[in-house]
Amino acid sequence: MTTTEPWGPAPDGLDRPYWEGLLEGELRLQRCTGCSTWIWGPQAICGTCHSFDIGWETVEPVGTVYSWNRSWYPYMDEYADKLPYVTVLVELPHAGGRRVLGILTDDIDTNPEIGDPVVGVFEHTEGATWPLLRWRRTGTTEEGEQR
Amino acid sequence: MSAGNMRGAAAVVGVAEQHYRRGEAPHSEKRMTLEVILEACVDAGINPREIDGFVSYAGGPNDGAIIGGALLIDELRWSNMMWGGGGGSVAAAITNAAAAIATGQAECVVVYRAMSQEDTGRLGYAKYHYGSHFLAHGIGSPAQICAMRTQRMLEHGGVPRSAMRALVLAAYQHAQNNPTAQGYGRPLDEDTYEKSRLIAEPFHLFDCSRESDGAVALVLVSAERAKTLRPDPAYLLAGAQGAPGGFSELIDNDLGEQYMSAGFGPANNGKPGVAQRLWAGAGLGPDDVDVVQVYENFSGPAVAALIDHGLCPPGEAAGTFMTVENLTAPGGKLPINTSGGNLADSFVNGLNLAVEAVRQIRGTSTNPVANAKTSLFIGGPMAPLVSSVLFGHEDTL
Repeated sequence: MTTTEPWGPAPDGLDRPYWEGLLEGELRLQRCTGCSTWIWGPQAICGTCHSFDIGWETVEPVGTVYSWNRSWYPYMDEYADKLPYVTVLVELPHAGGRRVLGILTDDIDTNPEIGDPVVGVFEHTEGATWPLLRWRRTGTTEEGEQR
Repeated sequence: MSAGNMRGAAAVVGVAEQHYRRGEAPHSEKRMTLEVILEACVDAGINPREIDGFVSYAGGPNDGAIIGGALLIDELRWSNMMWGGGGGSVAAAITNAAAAIATGQAECVVVYRAMSQEDTGRLGYAKYHYGSHFLAHGIGSPAQICAMRTQRMLEHGGVPRSAMRALVLAAYQHAQNNPTAQGYGRPLDEDTYEKSRLIAEPFHLFDCSRESDGAVALVLVSAERAKTLRPDPAYLLAGAQGAPGGFSELIDNDLGEQYMSAGFGPANNGKPGVAQRLWAGAGLGPDDVDVVQVYENFSGPAVAALIDHGLCPPGEAAGTFMTVENLTAPGGKLPINTSGGNLADSFVNGLNLAVEAVRQIRGTSTNPVANAKTSLFIGGPMAPLVSSVLFGHEDTL
């Protein structure tokens, strides 16, 4: 497969299970095998107990908005035709409150509010190598997703 | 050895800056660096061959051997690049120079930074600095990352957006008295600010720093030497750098509510943090500060930095304190960014703010704060490493 996407697994393979999880429609995050602490972003070591024995577990992709931003300026060529778009930082109660970023796919003209419940949507754009985890507010439809 | 042992050991005795509209530098970064170092030496009244220490930050190829070699200095003793943090480490570079002098590692240290779009492109577009887990979600610039942190400060922290606006309007008001400011002759009113285009919500255009070409240098020597050179050295009362472990470094998984701070606040496990260490080193507190230069990459992080330092109350009260009246010289309670700052004067990665902090001690600012004895410079907020430095007049020693 060829791609120009500037994302995907890191050269050292550390976060490959995350990307492979997306291919299978799952959100997978790191968890320390020793002390059970959830870890994100990807690390080789557990910051809590300093074990190098880190596993990957599947997490239910539901959470709440921790913060958000609406981008209007084309900082990235890859997203220039999507402007404006809203990126949310989602706090995951099923992963010890770890937070992950993602683009909001529902009606983004309506501001999210911190605390809004959101649910993950796995989006695999045609021709793209890697699917991406997007989010929509619970109770909304995915109308507007193709904005 | 406590940080207080450095109090008053070193002083800034020479400053120089030059800035141009971005992309319009007449010379390379190296040439501009050499020019401002020579100008700062003239300002200090020292021979450039005496410089034996070189400190910079945020990258750049022109290290102490290269610049010292070009100047054919007597001896190179200290050549340090601050690690990480971009503009966050700007004040740390000054502290680094003072540490070299205080410990006898070097005697005459120059802190410098040069930026030319021709040589290194634009800072705000350094997008591939960010990894996959940002880029995949449309986040590829410091503006967007700081915007999300600011949004939480506003929405969850309860800081009114008017606090950001007051900081911006105060900077532009100051710039109207500074003929070399890029915002000189271009006053900004509330309506224009509010109606300016959105960049990365909640930031409008005027919430974002400009970028300039240019170069800045500050020359530091020991307090003893400083007294022989000029009547108004800016003594380094204290400097501190760092951040809580993991701050702004774990893909937005900062501990607790650190996410909406600027990184100067309390550290992990009860450790003090940058601001508290700064005050402890100086033996002073926020109420003792006469004038502040705060690095505004964006308005929101600058407000967060003032809150972290205890200069501005958190939450809704920030809106009461952060008014144009309070923030402007000569009569404001806490004049900030008195040259116009990164927003309205120029942006050479923030080191130009340190020059203005020194001018306030000398009384040579175009917006002087009468009888200023303490002058605070806060480096780039919300970076993974942040720093601040407090200058004092001789009377504060």
